[in-house]
Amino acid sequence: MQIKRGIAVSPGVVTGEVLVLGTEDFRIPNRFVSIDAVESELARFRHTLEIVWDEIKENEQLAREQLGDQFGAIFGAHLQMARDPKLIAEIEGLISEKSLSPEYASSRVLRRFARELQNLGNQYHAERAVDIFDLEKRILRHLLGERREELVHLTAPVIVLAHNLTPSETASLDRQFVLGFATEVGGHTSHTAILAGALEIPAVVGLGHCLADVSGGEMVIIDGNHGEVILDPDEATLAKYQVMEERVHSVSQRLASLKTLPAETLDGETITLLGNIEFPEEAKVCHNRGARGIGLYRTEFLYLEQNRIPSEEDHYEAYCKVIAADPDHPVTIRTLDIGADKVPETIGDLAPDVVNPQLGLRSLRLSLRNIPLFKIQLRAIARAAVHGDVRVMFPLVSNLLELRQARMILGDVMDDLEEQKVPFRRDVPVGIMVEVPAAVMLAEEFAREVDFFSIGTNDLIQYTLAVDRADPSVADLYRSGDPSILRLIRAVISAAAKHDVAVTVCGQMSSDPVFIPLLVGMGIRQFSSTPHAIPELKEVVRHLTIQQAELIAEHAQSLDLARDVENYLRGELNRICPDLLL
Amino acid sequence: MTHTAQQTVRVGLEQGLHMVPCSLIVRTAERFPCEIQIQKADRSANAKTMLDLLTLSAENGSVLVLEARGAEAGEAVQALARLFESNFVDPVSGSRPATPSDR
Repeated sequence: MQIKRGIAVSPGVVTGEVLVLGTEDFRIPNRFVSIDAVESELARFRHTLEIVWDEIKENEQLAREQLGDQFGAIFGAHLQMARDPKLIAEIEGLISEKSLSPEYASSRVLRRFARELQNLGNQYHAERAVDIFDLEKRILRHLLGERREELVHLTAPVIVLAHNLTPSETASLDRQFVLGFATEVGGHTSHTAILAGALEIPAVVGLGHCLADVSGGEMVIIDGNHGEVILDPDEATLAKYQVMEERVHSVSQRLASLKTLPAETLDGETITLLGNIEFPEEAKVCHNRGARGIGLYRTEFLYLEQNRIPSEEDHYEAYCKVIAADPDHPVTIRTLDIGADKVPETIGDLAPDVVNPQLGLRSLRLSLRNIPLFKIQLRAIARAAVHGDVRVMFPLVSNLLELRQARMILGDVMDDLEEQKVPFRRDVPVGIMVEVPAAVMLAEEFAREVDFFSIGTNDLIQYTLAVDRADPSVADLYRSGDPSILRLIRAVISAAAKHDVAVTVCGQMSSDPVFIPLLVGMGIRQFSSTPHAIPELKEVVRHLTIQQAELIAEHAQSLDLARDVENYLRGELNRICPDLLL
Repeated sequence: MTHTAQQTVRVGLEQGLHMVPCSLIVRTAERFPCEIQIQKADRSANAKTMLDLLTLSAENGSVLVLEARGAEAGEAVQALARLFESNFVDPVSGSRPATPSDR
C-alpha cells in the first residue's frame, strides 16, 4: 500500500481498478509494423493525411473569415507543408521499405526537417521548427487518435491515472465508467480541475511522480475530499473507505432532498443561488440541483473543445442549449476570458507567450484587440437573447474605457443585426466582472454604466494579494479570508447599493459554505457557484437568519488576520450547520 | 522536345522567403506540369516542395535563379517571377502575406 498526496479538486471518495495513461502526450507505441501490415498501414497514413489536410483547410477558412487574410495565409502555408510531396514520399518510403510504423516514420522525418531548419543559423528559420512540430503533433494526434480513444470507449468502471489530462480529454470522460481521476501535474484552478468539479467525479491533481509505481489493473482509492490517492490499499483501508463512501453518499442524498425547497433564511429572506457552468450540458445539472439560473457561463470551452475557432453558429447553438435547459431563469454569459493558463492552440497566435501572462493580453483585452473574433461572440449572444433572459458580462475590466469600447462594439453588432433583419434583443443587460482592484476603486463610476456587477473572487484575490494561485511555493498566501479582500467586497457592495446595481459573488469563495454567512451578512443576496455546491449552500442559507449573518460579518471584519477570519467563520458554520462538515 | 526557361530574381522581403511566400511559390508552381528548381548559390530547391524552399533560407536581397524544364516552362518561370516582382501580394486575396511580426 502506498499513499500519495495531491491537491483535492473535486470531492467524493471512490474505489476501483486503475487505468494508466502514458506520461507523454504522444507516446509512439510501436516503432515497427509487420511486413504483411505495410499496405494497411500505408492506407492508414494516407487517410490520416487527408483528415489533417481537411482540418488545416478548415482552420484556414475560418481564420480568413474571422481574423483576416494574413492569418489565413499562415494556415495556408501549414497546408502546403503538410502536402509537401517530398515529405510524404519520405515517410511512405520508411513505412513501405523499412516497415516503420506511420507514427514513428512521420515523427522521424518531420523532426529531421525541424533540425535542419534549426541548423540554418537564422533566427526566423529556427523558429519555423515550431511549425513543423505543430504538424507532427497534428499527424500523431490523428494517427494515435483511435488508441487514445480507449478513454472514450470504456466498457467497465475504472479510475484514470494520468500524467496530465487536457481540458478536452477531461470533458469527454465517460461519467458512466470513469469513477474518478488523478494526475501527476496540475493545480487548484487549472482548467482540468474546474472541469472535474463540473463533472462531479472525485479528482486529485498535482500528485507528483507516481505513474512509474503502477502498471494498470490494481485497486486504487481516490479521496477527493482530502486530496489523497491510495495505491494498492490493504484490507483495513479498503473497509475504512467503504464506510466513508457510504457516509458521503448519504449526506449527498440528504442534500439532494433540498432541491425543491426554497433558498430562504429562517427569517424569510430569499437568497438567489445560481450555477457556474463551463459547457452547455451542465445547465441541466444546475437546474436539477435547484439553481435559479446561470450566474456565470464561461464560454472559453467553445474555444478549447474544438481544435478551431468557433463560428457564430457554434456559439449560438451552445447558448440556446443553455437557455433551453431552464428557460424561466437568467443566463449570464461571460465573453471570452482566455489568457494565461488556458490559451487554446487555435488562437494561440493571438496571445503570444509573454513573461507574465496574468498581467498580459488576456480576456477582454484580447477581445478588444481582435474585434472580428469578439463580434462573432456578441452577435451570437444578442441573437440567443431572443429566447430567454440573457445577460452579457465582460471579464477583467480594468478601466472605464474598456467597458465603453466593449459596449460600443456590442451596439455596432446590434445595428448590423438590425440591418440584416436577423432577430435579436437590444435591451440585453450588460455587466462586468469585478476582479481587478482598479475596478473596485472605481466601483461607483462603473456602477453608473452597468446593469450588474459580479465579483470574481479568484482573480480579485490573486491581483490584490499579488499571489499566483497556480504557484505552489506561494499558494498558501492565497487567502479568501484576508481582511483586504473583505474590505474590497464591502466597497463594491456599497457602490452598487448607491446606484441600485445588482451584485453577485462568483468564484471559488462563493462555492465555499464557510463564507456564506459572512457574505450574506455583508449584504450579498446572489451567489453563483459550482453546481455541486448549490445544495450545500442552500442548507447553510436555510439555517441562517439575516441578523445572525450581520453579526458574523461585523465580527469577521474586525479581525486583522486571514487565518483568524477563516477560523472564526469555520467555527460559526459548525455552530449553524453541525452536520455539514465531513 | 524539352523546353527550358530561366530567370534571375531578387528577394525583396524584410524577413526573407518565409513560410507564407514559400507557400505562394508552391501554389503557383503546382499549376504547371514542368519541373521547377530555384537555386541560391550552390543550393537548389524544388519549387513544389515547401520544406525544400524553407531550407533554402533565402534572406532579403538574396539573388535566386528560377529554372523550369518541360511543358509550359516559360509560363511557369514568368508566373513565379511576377510573384517576386509583386513582392508576394497574395493573388487570391490581394493582401500582403503576414510577416512573422503579425503573429
